[in-house]
Amino acid sequence: MFTDFRIALAIPVALTLAACGEPQPQLSFEESLQQQLIEAEPGDVIDIPAGTHELTRSLSLNVPGVTIRGAGMDSSILSFRNQLQGAEGLLVSADDFTIEDLAIEDTVGDALKINDSDNVTVRRVRTEWTGGPLTTNGAYGIYPVQSSNILIDGSVAIGASDAGIYVGQSTRIIVRNSRAEYNVAGIEIENSTFADVYDNVATNNTGGILVFDLPNLPVQGGRNTRVFNNSIVDNNTANFAPEGNIVATVPAGSGLMVLANDNIEVFGNEFAGNNSANMMVVSYHITGLPIDDENYDPFPESIHVHDNSFSGGGAEPDSEPLALLREATGQAVPDIVWDGTILPGKTAPDVICMRGNGDADFVNLDAPGGFAAPSFEIGPHDCAGEELPEVSISTGP
Amino acid sequence: MIRSLLRILAPAILSACLLGACAEPRFFEQDNPQRLSDWNLFRDDGSRFIPREQTLVFAPANPLFTDYAGKLRTMWLPAGGQASMRGGELEFPVGSILSKTFYYPTGADGVLLESIDHENELDRQRHRMIETRLLVRRDDGWHAMAYVWNDDQAEAFLRVAGASVPASLQRSSGTEEFVYFVPNENQCAGCHVTVHPDGPLHPLGAVPEQLAAAANPDGAHPSQLQAMRERGWLEAAPVRTAAASWQDSRADLDTRALAYMNIHCGHCHNPDGAADTSALVLDGRHRNPVELGVCKTPVAAGGGAGDLLYSIHPGAPERSILLYRMESSEPDEMMPELGRSLAHEEGIALIRDWIAAMEGDCPEPVRAFGNG
Repeated sequence: MFTDFRIALAIPVALTLAACGEPQPQLSFEESLQQQLIEAEPGDVIDIPAGTHELTRSLSLNVPGVTIRGAGMDSSILSFRNQLQGAEGLLVSADDFTIEDLAIEDTVGDALKINDSDNVTVRRVRTEWTGGPLTTNGAYGIYPVQSSNILIDGSVAIGASDAGIYVGQSTRIIVRNSRAEYNVAGIEIENSTFADVYDNVATNNTGGILVFDLPNLPVQGGRNTRVFNNSIVDNNTANFAPEGNIVATVPAGSGLMVLANDNIEVFGNEFAGNNSANMMVVSYHITGLPIDDENYDPFPESIHVHDNSFSGGGAEPDSEPLALLREATGQAVPDIVWDGTILPGKTAPDVICMRGNGDADFVNLDAPGGFAAPSFEIGPHDCAGEELPEVSISTGP
Repeated sequence: MIRSLLRILAPAILSACLLGACAEPRFFEQDNPQRLSDWNLFRDDGSRFIPREQTLVFAPANPLFTDYAGKLRTMWLPAGGQASMRGGELEFPVGSILSKTFYYPTGADGVLLESIDHENELDRQRHRMIETRLLVRRDDGWHAMAYVWNDDQAEAFLRVAGASVPASLQRSSGTEEFVYFVPNENQCAGCHVTVHPDGPLHPLGAVPEQLAAAANPDGAHPSQLQAMRERGWLEAAPVRTAAASWQDSRADLDTRALAYMNIHCGHCHNPDGAADTSALVLDGRHRNPVELGVCKTPVAAGGGAGDLLYSIHPGAPERSILLYRMESSEPDEMMPELGRSLAHEEGIALIRDWIAAMEGDCPEPVRAFGNG
């Protein structure tokens, strides 16, 4: 009796649907994931199940307080190898955002871009271009920009044609316990303030770690970054960045490069086998690019380098002045290279102070003098630099 | 007594609506219905898709390029509702609905053709509808959504996550295969939220400058603001100069180029927009050379830099990243990022001419240190 009643009801419903055209189409994995991201409420956790999920369009999240959680960076994989639309894999503009335990692979552009967000945690996330270092790879792996209170922890970035882990125009930043390999820049802190970069491994990149400040950006005056207890080893991959981008000018074999930043403390790092130079401190003028920005300070200052270990490196410089130096001296390029540009009125110790770096050697390239009279005197830089306070951020554990 | 009378009459009213006599568009205060037809914005006689007479068909002065699709736009204000001018902008009453139906004229074998004419109704024999986007003014502001037309063109369904529609377009220059992308709701906000990320979502076409033009390009009709006033939707039509149009062949190159960038770039490339990270301000209002990108090096363009050094190299369009990104259809390189899969030949020609006519030069970099 009841059964009959149900059948009787079902028939008119089916007729109604047919009368209004086809029923609502079934959603694919990517459509239902994107719909979840749009309809999420603060506090929601969106799970990415184990498996390789193919996506053709960028994902995006604008809702604050959301966690995206996979089952592990080697098991929950968002693969964009067949991507047709969107300049990134996942684009986030949302405060109190956490992403963890998943991988984003083979995006056409940036893998994970986080714009204008506060309290951001990226934990155990892998971004990778699986075809190795190629110019056609996307620019950035993990890419917070104009954001604050950022924690990048236990993550892996491989194959970016610009920077694997790139934090730009941001403040209050911790990048730790992460690994950057086979990127043009392994880890880059650009036009940012108050960053701690520690316990990371940067290897097989073109440049291991870059701390840059560039002109003509809405946020500039990069300063107060500590780079410590990192392993910055064998960053000798040929530069594969598309021409025109600032990192395309970074010589292969650069360990740590500080460009135009102020108040940088570099300590406890292991530098080894970076074949242009283990560490370089340069002004923006070294790029040869015009500066049309009167608010911009192209000179690095207050760079404090202490208690690091240096070995090897400088053997095959990928830079004309460094190669000429290598030729002229018959020696490897020294561990620490300074281009020698200086703001009038400032002195050598205003730019770099160095102590306790074992038997690390040093060169002032005399770039302002056309590299004519390089100096190997480390004495002028024997000073006690400033120790910067620990960066505290307000994001989660 | 009245209540029980209504109860008896309600089914009769409902069935009258189903028969098409219930001609008023319908506003949904909260949830978005799954079917476009539930909004009742259009009349459908089986062969033609016709905006209801309560709606106003309109066209902005300076239109956006979307893969050569035609756009049929309607505006509807609820009975007794009136828009007002507030802070120089049109404030629509709660219940207002703007619609935009993207369509292509079809050729003999159903192939899609470039849209040239403004259509005030669509004929299924001659047009294929792809999607209808709505902007709905609710209590808490505007809401954006897209309905995607099914294959038999009988109904369009809500697609929160957008859709990908493979298509083939025949133009005088040849036939191009492409995927037409219907935006997801976040992508709607990508353009309609111009103050990133927390600003309000708002219309881009139904704004005073865009409506100050006549709906018909021949100029024979009154301004669309006037048309709104005649319907009682505005107390008085504000006196506005219509937005400059990139299509206006009588305007000078500079005006047309800035108008083009205003509508194609400005929603992100403005001082508060999502693309302010690039320091390029292309909203048609800023004319400082560095903000326009003259001799400006890229920041985070990646492959979008096209192996070029400067966003605009005066006199040298082929050395300018701006033009490269307009010519590209690669998702990580092309600009705008959303709203097109095809390159816009007419826009490219305009910006090429504009850069070619610029005076000056950029310095050649002297790369002292790099691996160059």
